[in-house]
Amino acid sequence: MNPLAELLSERLSKGQVIDGFDTEAWAVCGRVPQAVVFPESEAQVAEVLSLSSEEGWRCVPGGKGSWLHGGQPPQSVDVLLSAERMDDISEYEPADMFIVAEAGTRLDELERRTSECGQWLALDPPGGERGTLGAMLAVGAAGPLQASFGCPRDQVLGATLVTGDGRVLALGGKVVKNVAGFDLLKLVAGSWGTLGMITSVTMRLHPTPASDRSLLFKGAEAEDGAELACRLAQTPLPLAAVELLVPGEGESGGGAPSPLVAVRILESADAADEAERVLSESAGMAPVQRLEGEQSAAIFDNVRAMEDGAELVLRLSLLPSRLPELVEMTSRLSDLYDPNEGWGMRLAAHAHTGVLRVMIAVVSRPDGWVDRAKTVLGVLRRSLEAEGGSLVVSQGPPEIVSAVSAWGELGPAALLTAGIQAAFDPAGILARGGSPQ
Amino acid sequence: MENILPEPLTKELGDRLRGVVGDSWVIVDADRLLAYESDGLTAYRRTPRAVVLPRTTDEVSRVLSILSQEGVPVVPRGAGTGLSGGALADGDAVVVGTARMTDMLALDPANRLARVQPGMINVDLTKAAEPFGLYYAPDPSSQSACTLGGNIAENSGGPHCLKYGVTSRYVTGLTVVTYDGKIVEMGGFGRESGGYDLLGVFVGSEGCFGIATEIEVRLLPKPEGVRTLLAIFDRLGDAGSAVTEIMAEGLLPAALEIIDGPTIRAVEASVFAAGFPTDAEAALVVEFDGIEAGLEADVERAVARCREAGAREVRTADSEEERLALWQGRKKAFGAMGQIASDLLVQDATVPRSQLTDVLERISEIGVRHDLTIANVFHAGDGNLHPNLLFDRSDPEEVARVERASTEIMAVCVEAGGTITGEHGVGLDKRRYMSLVHGPDELDAMRRIKAVFDPLGRMNPGKVLPDAPDSAGAAT
Ligand SMILES: Cc1cc2nc3c(=O)[nH]c(=O)nc-3n(C[C@H](O)[C@H](O)[C@H](O)COP(=O)(O)OP(=O)(O)OC[C@H]3O[C@@H](n4cnc5c(N)ncnc54)[C@H](O)[C@@H]3O)c2cc1C
Repeated sequence: MNPLAELLSERLSKGQVIDGFDTEAWAVCGRVPQAVVFPESEAQVAEVLSLSSEEGWRCVPGGKGSWLHGGQPPQSVDVLLSAERMDDISEYEPADMFIVAEAGTRLDELERRTSECGQWLALDPPGGERGTLGAMLAVGAAGPLQASFGCPRDQVLGATLVTGDGRVLALGGKVVKNVAGFDLLKLVAGSWGTLGMITSVTMRLHPTPASDRSLLFKGAEAEDGAELACRLAQTPLPLAAVELLVPGEGESGGGAPSPLVAVRILESADAADEAERVLSESAGMAPVQRLEGEQSAAIFDNVRAMEDGAELVLRLSLLPSRLPELVEMTSRLSDLYDPNEGWGMRLAAHAHTGVLRVMIAVVSRPDGWVDRAKTVLGVLRRSLEAEGGSLVVSQGPPEIVSAVSAWGELGPAALLTAGIQAAFDPAGILARGGSPQ
Repeated sequence: MENILPEPLTKELGDRLRGVVGDSWVIVDADRLLAYESDGLTAYRRTPRAVVLPRTTDEVSRVLSILSQEGVPVVPRGAGTGLSGGALADGDAVVVGTARMTDMLALDPANRLARVQPGMINVDLTKAAEPFGLYYAPDPSSQSACTLGGNIAENSGGPHCLKYGVTSRYVTGLTVVTYDGKIVEMGGFGRESGGYDLLGVFVGSEGCFGIATEIEVRLLPKPEGVRTLLAIFDRLGDAGSAVTEIMAEGLLPAALEIIDGPTIRAVEASVFAAGFPTDAEAALVVEFDGIEAGLEADVERAVARCREAGAREVRTADSEEERLALWQGRKKAFGAMGQIASDLLVQDATVPRSQLTDVLERISEIGVRHDLTIANVFHAGDGNLHPNLLFDRSDPEEVARVERASTEIMAVCVEAGGTITGEHGVGLDKRRYMSLVHGPDELDAMRRIKAVFDPLGRMNPGKVLPDAPDSAGAAT
């Protein structure tokens, strides 16, 4: 064992630390950690982090390691902390509609437990059910259902966070309405592990909807699809999700890919019938398909899996009414990939929030590919930012993400962001380097 | 509480402030300052040193620059309807009020967004959005008086937050001026940032991080239909069971509100009499909204659950007028109590819903033990309680009993797995209960974050956080 792993296994136990070749599977954006530790309690997490703070080891908290390639690449990683062995559901009160589970609990396990009691966690983040609860909160991951249920930040009631210097903070509580002091939980949601390691999470649950219906509408071209999606999202109906889906060139059987607009309705059957009538009227056409129950859920499970196998994932955004323009802008990305490689480029947009995900199967790598990507993405980011929008490189070849930076500049908020980071992680062992965190 | 008269502003400082906002908008006359000596929690009274009323973000920034150069503490203030003493100015502080910042800056119906100044009254936003078939969802009972800036500072809730969530779900962007006069943009709909959720932590920061000077919020389309029913119960516990059963059905009402026997009797004895039987011990208002076609079935299921739980009577409404009549008792509860007692302390706490009945029983025992009338009005669906303690401020012995009863109520709610405030905030009043729900490390973490936004500690000082353990004798 290397000296670092040696020291860690003295503090924990031999079986809880790996080093050498075994750590490659745990690379963070291509950076292989010197050691991976598997703490079994928040006390052990605190022990590892306070030791690392003293030693100046750079740490990255993780779950089961299914999404370590996302976000801003850290400059280096000494220790990766996996929440894999912390996966107890510690408290579940169906009557009070909350569940407390350790960070390493898998989302599919959570789904299994809650569905037994007619409840669910109304979130459908990318990556499907393999992800873990702690990681979902840490990256603030949400899918199409955010149109109606919000993001993890809106549904988390409490969490335990072990800070960079090993303080154990119990944030929030178990009740839906809670304004006792500053809402530090909001900082933790979407902090990408840069404030500490989340060890336990309390989530709000919802009753399983009595009926689940998805309607698929077809547009002729991608931009038409975007207009249709906007129009449907603007109907005054309580829709659970409106998602524009454009398959990749390589999966549309030749010819231009034709876009679909998938609308999900989680209301009673009577209400869904009425919604379908209003939607068809607004679309000027009937849906090409109506899916009910498990089939309806399945189509949105596919949306969750759309990033699977993508080498580059971008998130572009503008105000929702400008979705057609946003879709059109994706033509500027044509230099970055070859439509004949893999499935090409897929698009998926949340019509209510104006976020367009662009998934590219294989990034082309001619000479100077990194510079070219840097230019293309830089120009696109600037033009979106000038319009109040943004471009996020959600995952991609580390060369590109490092060159472009995952997120745009923060402006005057950067000072506050840095202050917050330092308040939770005084030694700076969790900071991801580069802009902004 | 004792009201210490503050040091007046120096002429020079007054002139500089008048130079920014205009002569009429710096208030220093003792009699005009009286209007600012308390908020909705009238037990505390403090006269501010001065009140400054700027008109724009730029003016707020210049006012704060001047005050911070002079080291003068600042207290933001909206309409002063807060119920935790948050807008009170301590010692030598100056109030910066948003009363003149009431403009609609942009209304974007296509994207269902509005950008407003912080002094806009909550209900005025809904009125402005109405012609477009939209409304602003968070509806505190004080919505015809309170400001959106105050709502953001308190992360306010309201009866319909059961289905729609509280203020933090609707705020999408903020312009904030910090104590040093810096202008910071946070969030912005349609933009994803890699920084922390500054907006999220600002909401609910009770004026301790800065002044929100522009607010962007999400609007919702008005639901097509609304159905309301009112169930009358002989036992409060039965109303609680009805709530549990309705939720267990998988129904999600827009609102589930209870008023208890003492409240019913207060309402019936007042000009707001709503025709409730005065021997009843609870009235439950259940409201559903959404697509018309699905509503009737929901109402039928809820009516059945109420009857099974022992409702003696269930009323439904056939017209908008009748619907409003069903809400009357709930909406006028505070007003009615104001008529039967000289003073009213509106408590606020949340417990897990399944604990409601037990906790209410214990609160009733606390009332008996301290010989106080406690009337409960509450957001039952969220477990958010408002025990109202009726008293007479001129009786110091009774005031002391109110204090003791409040402390015991807080302890009971926390013990049941709840918290010390669900929507009214900590302010001045609940600092002393903070350690019931937060340990020293959590309080320390909050202090550190406060220091990031306000390193000098002069933005709404003496609110929310109890004094740090090592700062014995700091201002109280
Ligand atoms: C009869 C009655 C019923 C009520 N019902 C409810 C209810 O149902 N739900 C609920 O949640 N609350 C309720 N409240 C409490 C109160 O109305 C809310 O807390 C409201 O949001 C306060 O708004 P305000 O404009 O009056 O704020 P103020 O009382 O003026 O200020 C409250 C706090 O906000 C800060 N503040 C104000 N403006 C700004 C700004 N622009 N930037 C930064 N900080 C600012 C102040 O410093 C202070 O700390 C009720 C109050 C009354 C009197």
